[in-house]
Amino acid sequence: MRLEDILINNVWDVDYEPHIVVDSEKCVGCDTKPCINLCPAGCFTLLGDKIVFSYEGCLECGTCRVICSRGAVSWNYPVSGKGIHYRFG
Amino acid sequence: MSRRFDAVVVGAGPAGSTAAYTLAKKGFKVLLLERGRVAGSKNVFGGRVYSKPLEEIYPNLLKDAPIQRWVVKERFSLAAGDTMLSLDYESGERKSFICHLSELAAWMAKQAEEAGSFLVTEIVVDGFVLKDGFVKGVKIGGEVVESDVVIDCEGVNRLLLERAGFVKGLKADQVALGVKETLRIPSTEIESRFGLGEKEGLSWILLGDFTNGLPGGAFLYTNTAAVSLGLVLMLKSAHSLKEHISNLLENLRLHPLLSKYLKESSIVEYSSHLIPEAGSAMLKHPYSDGLLVAGDAAGYLLNLGYTYRGVDFAAYSGYLAAQAYEKAHAEGDFSKMGLAWYEHLLKQSFVLKQMLKFRKFSKLLDDESLFSKYPKMFCDVAKALFAFDYEVPTLMEALKRSKKDVGLLKLLLDGFRVVRSI
Repeated sequence: MRLEDILINNVWDVDYEPHIVVDSEKCVGCDTKPCINLCPAGCFTLLGDKIVFSYEGCLECGTCRVICSRGAVSWNYPVSGKGIHYRFG
Repeated sequence: MSRRFDAVVVGAGPAGSTAAYTLAKKGFKVLLLERGRVAGSKNVFGGRVYSKPLEEIYPNLLKDAPIQRWVVKERFSLAAGDTMLSLDYESGERKSFICHLSELAAWMAKQAEEAGSFLVTEIVVDGFVLKDGFVKGVKIGGEVVESDVVIDCEGVNRLLLERAGFVKGLKADQVALGVKETLRIPSTEIESRFGLGEKEGLSWILLGDFTNGLPGGAFLYTNTAAVSLGLVLMLKSAHSLKEHISNLLENLRLHPLLSKYLKESSIVEYSSHLIPEAGSAMLKHPYSDGLLVAGDAAGYLLNLGYTYRGVDFAAYSGYLAAQAYEKAHAEGDFSKMGLAWYEHLLKQSFVLKQMLKFRKFSKLLDDESLFSKYPKMFCDVAKALFAFDYEVPTLMEALKRSKKDVGLLKLLLDGFRVVRSI
């Protein structure tokens, strides 16, 4: 099953503004890039040798912030009820 | 709404709502702030809650709370390839229940509201109001809400505490990553597949190659008409994961020994959450001038390898934070000194007692061989003992055959370490 087909069962209210900002300049030279395999929502993908980040499917666990050793991830809570809406949790 | 409260509680999860509920019942004016659209919409857990501590706090818990099934069956399994060695414990006693946390947290927030606290959702707190290091309230947008004390129950990521300089950024060795699928299965099917009666539930913890040899484990809890299936990985060693974490979860769902329980199910939710693993090392003291910290934000969670306790620890710490506030209020002292009673109460209660008691055991869970080698070794022994054609080996022969990966001395030493730590 593709991750997209699993994620589609969730409910989000996606904000216009991202709550996470990734400074992909800082990813240059990171040879492990643990964010790619460990972000459960697959928000970090590799395009060529560059990290591309999309915040829309974020599950707000905070993993990216903790595993990034280069401080490339600025993390905020989404504002005014936006973001993931867990119905079961 | 007046801008001045006795206490502002940040986060309407189990810790925050319980703190607000307890304070409101005592007649204090409490503001309970939640960033989600409704209380519970940002909460995630494995699946099971120990009941007694919550019954002490909420007298109507058993009658009214959204309890789905009572755990009557505990299963602990070691798995390797297509073999599994399990230990089952069954009892009619009702000590813990399975629920959806979003529902339970919403219920707790409702109790807090009915007791008289003001619940406001869709609010993100930007920071504390600080005067000479003393927390005097919270900032929301351009506005300020003042209070004697802020009770921070913002959860494991604790951005507020970090920004205000109370804690350093979370480190990978302090947390584990949990991912979970909620799978819809009709309740009659759950009961027949798992051998359960109505309202009866199974808690199933599995160690083995589901985590590709990395420290962590898997879990399965039966809800009323759904199964919570998940994986936990210690983040410290998880960076060496060679494939996407959702693949591991999918492999678990499709595992030949699990898939028969999960056939014709549909995924209704995919969730993830960080789990505090460093115990009381997460936060030196859970209080400061004008500040109390409870729940995941303070690291109050116990992982014993075969069971997790988070919700009851969180709720009970919120309950004790409220009691500490009451004492500080009576004495008119909301400084560090006045609030230190909170830590005293925690140390007197099961929360810190248990966490200190099992501190060594939690360290043991970091050991990779525990996860990569032992499940296979035990499964190999079982296989030798149970699956034979003509000649059955003695236990010693079976052990000798399977201990290649571990070595007898290492086995003895590890056994000693496990026994000493518990």
